[in-house]
Amino acid sequence: VRYAVAAVIAWFLAVLDVSVFPYIHPLGVSPDLVLIFAVSWAVVRGQDEALVVVPLCGLIQDLLTSDPVGLSIIGLAPAVPIALAVRMRAIETDFLPTIAAVMGTSACYGVISMALLGFTGQDVAVFNSLLRVVFPALIINALFTPLIYLPMHWTAPRQTAWLQSSARLPSSL
Amino acid sequence: MRLIWWLATVMFVGFVTLLLSEQNALDPLKNATLTVSAPVEDTFRDAASPLSDIYEGIADRGELVRDNERLRDENETLKSQVADQQEKDLLIQQLTDALQIQSQRPDDQLVVANVVAEDPSGLKRSIAIDLGQSDGVDEGMVVLSRNGSLIGTVSLAFQDFAWIRLINDPESAVNAQVNVSSAQPGDGGVLTPGGQEDEPSATPAPSPEASPSASPAPPPAPVRGVAEGHLRDGIVLDLLPPESAIGPGALVVTSGLGGNYPPGLLIGTVTEVEQRPQAPFKKALVEAATRLDSLDTVLVLVNFKPARLEAAP
Repeated sequence: VRYAVAAVIAWFLAVLDVSVFPYIHPLGVSPDLVLIFAVSWAVVRGQDEALVVVPLCGLIQDLLTSDPVGLSIIGLAPAVPIALAVRMRAIETDFLPTIAAVMGTSACYGVISMALLGFTGQDVAVFNSLLRVVFPALIINALFTPLIYLPMHWTAPRQTAWLQSSARLPSSL
Repeated sequence: MRLIWWLATVMFVGFVTLLLSEQNALDPLKNATLTVSAPVEDTFRDAASPLSDIYEGIADRGELVRDNERLRDENETLKSQVADQQEKDLLIQQLTDALQIQSQRPDDQLVVANVVAEDPSGLKRSIAIDLGQSDGVDEGMVVLSRNGSLIGTVSLAFQDFAWIRLINDPESAVNAQVNVSSAQPGDGGVLTPGGQEDEPSATPAPSPEASPSASPAPPPAPVRGVAEGHLRDGIVLDLLPPESAIGPGALVVTSGLGGNYPPGLLIGTVTEVEQRPQAPFKKALVEAATRLDSLDTVLVLVNFKPARLEAAP
C-alpha cells in the first residue's frame, strides 16, 4: 500500500511539475518536486523503501515528460546511496541531511541527464547547462525541500531507533 | 553489497528502457499516461495561469502584463502580415512565379491544439499538446502560434498526444533569412504593415539615388542564416555573412531552404547583432515573435510535408 501511495503522490507531483511550476521559475529553473520527494522518502523512510520508491519516481517522471523513459530512472538512482551517506551526521535530524541529499542528487541528476541526452543523440551545451540549469536547480530544489520534507516527516514512522545509542544532539526537525 | 546489486540492476533496467524508448516501443505507455494525466494537467494549468501574474510582480503589474501580451499579439499579427508581404514582394521581385513557389501556402491546413504540459527539466524547451497521430499529427510537422508565427516542430508523436520542440530548444535549427529591403526599422523608426519605416522626425533630405528620375534599385538579396535555439540567449541567428547589413528590428523569417519549413514564416525580430573581428560569420540575437513560455493554444500545419518526412519510407 505504501508504494501505491508513493506512486500516486509522485504522479501528482510530476503533474504539478509539468503544469503549474513552469509558471514559477526562480533563477530560470523550476523545482523538481519528484526528485525532492524521492530523496525525502529515501532519507526519512530508509533504504529498504527507497530501493522501490526511487526508481518508481523516475519512471513516473519519464512517462510525464518528453525525456526518454529510463533517463530519470538512472538519473535518480544516486539518491539512494547519497541518502545513505548523509545519515552519518552529528545532529539527530533528517532535515539538514535531506537538504544535502537533495542538492547532491540534483547535481547527479543534472549531470546524468546531460550525459544521457547526449547518449541519445541530443545536442547538450554542457557549460551553459551546468551554469543555467544544474547549478540553479541545486538551490531551487533545496529551497522547495521543506514543502515536501515536512509533511513526510510528520507522517512518517520514526526511523530513529538505531540512533538512540549514538551521542547526537536532539532536534525538532 | 545489496546496494551495489541494486544500482547495477537499476542501471541495466534504465538503459534497456532507454533503448526501448528510443525505438518508440514505449510510446503507447507514454500515451496512456498522458491520456490519464492530461485533464488534470489542463485543469492545473488553467488554475495556475494567474500564478504567472503573481509571480511577475504586484497586482497592477499583472494587468500591464496582460495588456502587454495583447499588444504583443497585435504586434505579432502585424509583423506576420509584414513578413508575409515582404516574402511575397521578394518572391515577385525574384520572378519566383516562374518557379511556381509563390503560392505555396494558400491552402494551409491547420489544426488547433491545446498545450497540456511543458518540459520541466530546463535542459530542453518542449511542450506537450493534446493532438497526436490519430489527428494527423506526425513527427517533423511544423507548429505555429495562434497568430501564425513559427514556434517549433513536432519532436515526438504518440497516438493522442505530441511533444513539440520549440525554436529556442538547443536542438532546434531553422534555416532563416532576413529580408534586408525593409529590415532596418531601428533607430526610432516604426515599422508599418506595409513594411515601410515611418520616420518620427523631419523628412530626410532626398538623396540622388532617391530622385524620381532614378531607376529603382534592384532588390537586395535576403540575408540567410540559421536560427538556433540557445539555453542562455533564446534564439541566435548564426552563420550570417559578415558583410550583411542587418540591425535591431529586422524581421527574421523561415527561408524554406532544406524543405523542412515553409518559407516566409515569421520567427522573430533581431534585437542585437554581434560581430567579432576575425570571426567568419555574424550572429544576431532574435526575440521570438510570440512568448514561448506561456503558450496555451498552437496550430499544427498538417498539410505541409517536411522534406525529412517525405524522405522517410
